[in-house]
Amino acid sequence: MLKVWGRANSSNLKKVTWLCEEIGLPYNRIDAGMAFGVVNTPEYKKLNPNGLVPTIEDGGFVLWESNAIVRYLAAKHASGTLWPTDLQVRADSDRWMDWCTSTLWPTFRPVFWNLIRTPEDKRNMKEVEEGAKKTAEILARLDGYLAGRQFVAGDQLTIGDIAFGPVVYLVNNVMPERPKLANYDAWYDRIASRPAFKKAVALPVA
Amino acid sequence: MLRVWGRVNSVNVKKVLWCVGELGLPFERIDAGMEYGVVGTPEYQAMNPNSRVPTIDDDGFVLWESNAIVRYLSLQYGLGTLCPEDPRRRADSDRWMDWTTAQLSPTFREVFWGMVRTAPEKRDMAFIEKNRVATAKAFDIVDKQLGTHAFIAGDHLTMGDIPLGCYAHLWLSMPIERPAHPNLEAWHKRLLERPAFNAGVNTPLS
Repeated sequence: MLKVWGRANSSNLKKVTWLCEEIGLPYNRIDAGMAFGVVNTPEYKKLNPNGLVPTIEDGGFVLWESNAIVRYLAAKHASGTLWPTDLQVRADSDRWMDWCTSTLWPTFRPVFWNLIRTPEDKRNMKEVEEGAKKTAEILARLDGYLAGRQFVAGDQLTIGDIAFGPVVYLVNNVMPERPKLANYDAWYDRIASRPAFKKAVALPVA
Repeated sequence: MLRVWGRVNSVNVKKVLWCVGELGLPFERIDAGMEYGVVGTPEYQAMNPNSRVPTIDDDGFVLWESNAIVRYLSLQYGLGTLCPEDPRRRADSDRWMDWTTAQLSPTFREVFWGMVRTAPEKRDMAFIEKNRVATAKAFDIVDKQLGTHAFIAGDHLTMGDIPLGCYAHLWLSMPIERPAHPNLEAWHKRLLERPAFNAGVNTPLS
């Protein structure tokens, strides 16, 4: 069976578990990272020299980097659904995975880190304010793009939505004041109402 | 003909220029970004709402996010060469693209901006140093990986070498202290033997 290393509340781990839940792929998850340790053991570092989660093992094949794992598993198990067969539709979906890593997460991360993972007296509220302002700006771009679309690459849930899910879940639950964005909000409700999202992504924020 | 928007000194544009060079695709490049402007015009924003470079137009198909562009072009025009056909080999290559964005770029960027795009008297050397040390540690992982094969995901150049190669070239060209990374340096020499690398990536630092 597919093995997945990572604590359940890691955003990067959730991409993998949401995908598995979405397509009904059985997996065996092993807690690792933060309070669980494991990631700095020599055994784990042999699998993943970064000492980060998630890592997977699929029939002897070890892979890390969450987006690469999502692409690999979707290509193997969900061709034509989560993994668009049309190369241009796939690229359209794929770029949002990169955008999430290169643009949305680095902008939002200081908001999350200060408000959730930093004791109240040590929070840098200037970082929170600036991060929240910039996050609102870039969400407006996503909102514009989602006009007329059910999901990021069209009418079907695809890999691009999967990469977004865990990050926008945090955004929607942590951002102090979020502007109303009609397309974004409708899309978020659409993904958040899926049973697989509820099971793998909608966990207590910690 | 394929059109590529972006100034040549952008690391993200370099990825695309090197990729199209390896694939032997005819293309037209249009200067955009920083001193060239363009990216703030309504016409450009209609293609790319992020107002960043690169953007491509491949016979009517518009795409942005540099890694997604490299993946798309490699799959469309380089299946079996830049894009491995075997799913596991493809994933192995693919993850280094995500790794470069997620693990290498955040600290590398601070070193590059500090040392190349900031006047000496305005540099925050303590901040640059902290990021230089973190970037060197990330390159330790690359150096180890490159000890096993000639390229990052095997014996041939694949898409996974492209983003990493662009960053490594800048890293090895900057006037900074670096730990010895013999495998990284040998790989960089192999890249410098490639005409497409010299045309797209090996240009003056700015």
